[in-house]
Amino acid sequence: MAVITVDNLCKRYAGASVPAVHDVSFSVADREFMVLLGPSGCGKSTVLRMIAGLEPITSGTVSIDGHVVNAVPAKARDIAMVFQSYALYPHMTVFDNLAFGLRRRNVEKTELARRVGAAAAKLGLTELLQRKPHALSGGQRQRVALGRAIIRDPKVFLFDEPLSNLDAALRVTTRNELIKQQREIGTTSIYVTHDQVEAMTMGHCICIMNHGGVVQIGRPLDVYRKPADTFVARFLGNPPMNLLKGKLGIHNGRVAVHVASNGAVLAESSATTVAGHVGREVIVGVRPEDLYEAVPAGAAHFARLPVRVVAVEPLGAETLLVVSLDASGEELIARIGRDTPLCAGDRFDVALDTAAIHLFDPGTTKAIV
Amino acid sequence: MATPLRQAFDQVRRAPLVLFVLLYTVVTGGPLLWVATMSLRTTAEIFKDPYGVPSPIHWAKFADAWTKSNYGTYFWNSAIVVVSAVALVTVVGAMAAHCLARYSFRGNRLVRLLILAGLVLPPQLLILALFQILLDINLYNTLSGLVLVYVATHVAMTVYILEGFFAQIPQDLFDAARMDGYSDFEIFWRVTMPIGAPAIFTTVTLNFIILWNEFLFAVVLLTDDDKRTLPLGIMHFTGSHQLDVGMVATGLMIAILPIIALYAFFSETMIKGMTAGAIR
Repeated sequence: MAVITVDNLCKRYAGASVPAVHDVSFSVADREFMVLLGPSGCGKSTVLRMIAGLEPITSGTVSIDGHVVNAVPAKARDIAMVFQSYALYPHMTVFDNLAFGLRRRNVEKTELARRVGAAAAKLGLTELLQRKPHALSGGQRQRVALGRAIIRDPKVFLFDEPLSNLDAALRVTTRNELIKQQREIGTTSIYVTHDQVEAMTMGHCICIMNHGGVVQIGRPLDVYRKPADTFVARFLGNPPMNLLKGKLGIHNGRVAVHVASNGAVLAESSATTVAGHVGREVIVGVRPEDLYEAVPAGAAHFARLPVRVVAVEPLGAETLLVVSLDASGEELIARIGRDTPLCAGDRFDVALDTAAIHLFDPGTTKAIV
Repeated sequence: MATPLRQAFDQVRRAPLVLFVLLYTVVTGGPLLWVATMSLRTTAEIFKDPYGVPSPIHWAKFADAWTKSNYGTYFWNSAIVVVSAVALVTVVGAMAAHCLARYSFRGNRLVRLLILAGLVLPPQLLILALFQILLDINLYNTLSGLVLVYVATHVAMTVYILEGFFAQIPQDLFDAARMDGYSDFEIFWRVTMPIGAPAIFTTVTLNFIILWNEFLFAVVLLTDDDKRTLPLGIMHFTGSHQLDVGMVATGLMIAILPIIALYAFFSETMIKGMTAGAIR
């Protein structure tokens, strides 16, 4: 069990004009499952590799249980890692793959067989112990890779996009399996992914990265509900948050945000926070699920915006409506019920839940509310 | 209805290819078969009818060549030199290829360039220098001297083939081994060598065939009869006034049998190694 602290971590590759990773700081509590989330090339795997000891650190520190491990080689950090490619040795059987790390530690033969057997039983690999990796399916390979990490009983697990090579159905089952195993074993874990669904469902905590730096850290739903900037707002959520141009003003003596010059949307709950911004341009963020075909019965704090339906995308359980604002032509996506009668070209007033809108500063893109 | 027509068309289209393969087989296999028949006939019989079939078959010629013509010694000299040289060149070449493929260090490209420059140097260019060096270090006219020369002259091709293959081994495998606690040297032996086995078999087979038949360095760097290798031994039957064709053919068969056996055993692995792509 371990606490990992990353402090001002930087990585600059030789000859590179900009650092691959800069000023990354976070802490992972004992038994916590932290997800590093970000688009490809944002530096999340580099951070993971620096924690693992596979990549030299340019500046900053990585500490495990309060001890700085920058100078400690990978093999001495007591960390196990699951790779995107699984990194199974193709010339070894499943048994030998599982036993490889233990053999290096001179684990006695009968104890080694017992531990391999136990790990194989836990992951449903007992029947496959004599097979070579090429004779396994993607899901089975993934389980062997996980088994190889578990069997060593390390202080920390690191996962580098371990599900990205699996097909969609297998990814869901393996994800659940992985969550179950981690919760059972309780080892401190850091998981790198660019898949927001994995991040939302697996992590106790999410660290969102972009352009080599940390953008926001928090509990999954907190980050979803209160994105720190427009990047997080768009990155988390599928379809992403709608962003519109707006302006803060006063309407009937109350703080309001004007969207597309035809609506006065009251930002009641956040009026005091935004009071200082009255008169300024803002970016208004609206999640697709906060847009409705009609104002729900008895609901307060709703605004109506005249729109034209551009496209209707029925997904079975729900329908996505792509609509265009009459006043500005800006496009929005609304997630509505599956039985909508609306068709492309129809005009109607989309209802917007003003209590759920987000406001961002157009200059810094940071959240105001 | 179209099927028989299509089959006939396919056969016609394939005919030139089959003809080419047949012709190539005759050109390469014909001389081998001819030498094989001559190896079982006496020189007198061969002169009387060069293309005749062996009748009677003189199996004893092989025993004679082995015992009376010192072929046993030549064979063992060849075996010692070639097995040692191939073993050394494989280990040295694999280590160099592993380093060049895996580590980025200062001068990496220069080292690669210098090693691979060995591929373009004709062996004749090296003869005088090697002769002098071996004399200076008292290894002239020794089997170990010849082994060193073979290693030096074949390390370039070995590195060239192995580096290409090793570079395709995913970095994750090495990282995983490091996380498991293995040192760089252990990773070389436990990960690179077993995974690179197809490419290693390729270089072993290629080097073995080339060195087993090597003549130029052997004839210049060995002088004593009891140190000669097989290709030099065949010269034994080629006098200045006469040529014992029958015994030359027997000697050639003794010389090429190990190569044929080796190729028959490793040909599939060798082709796999030369054409191998990503590691699964």
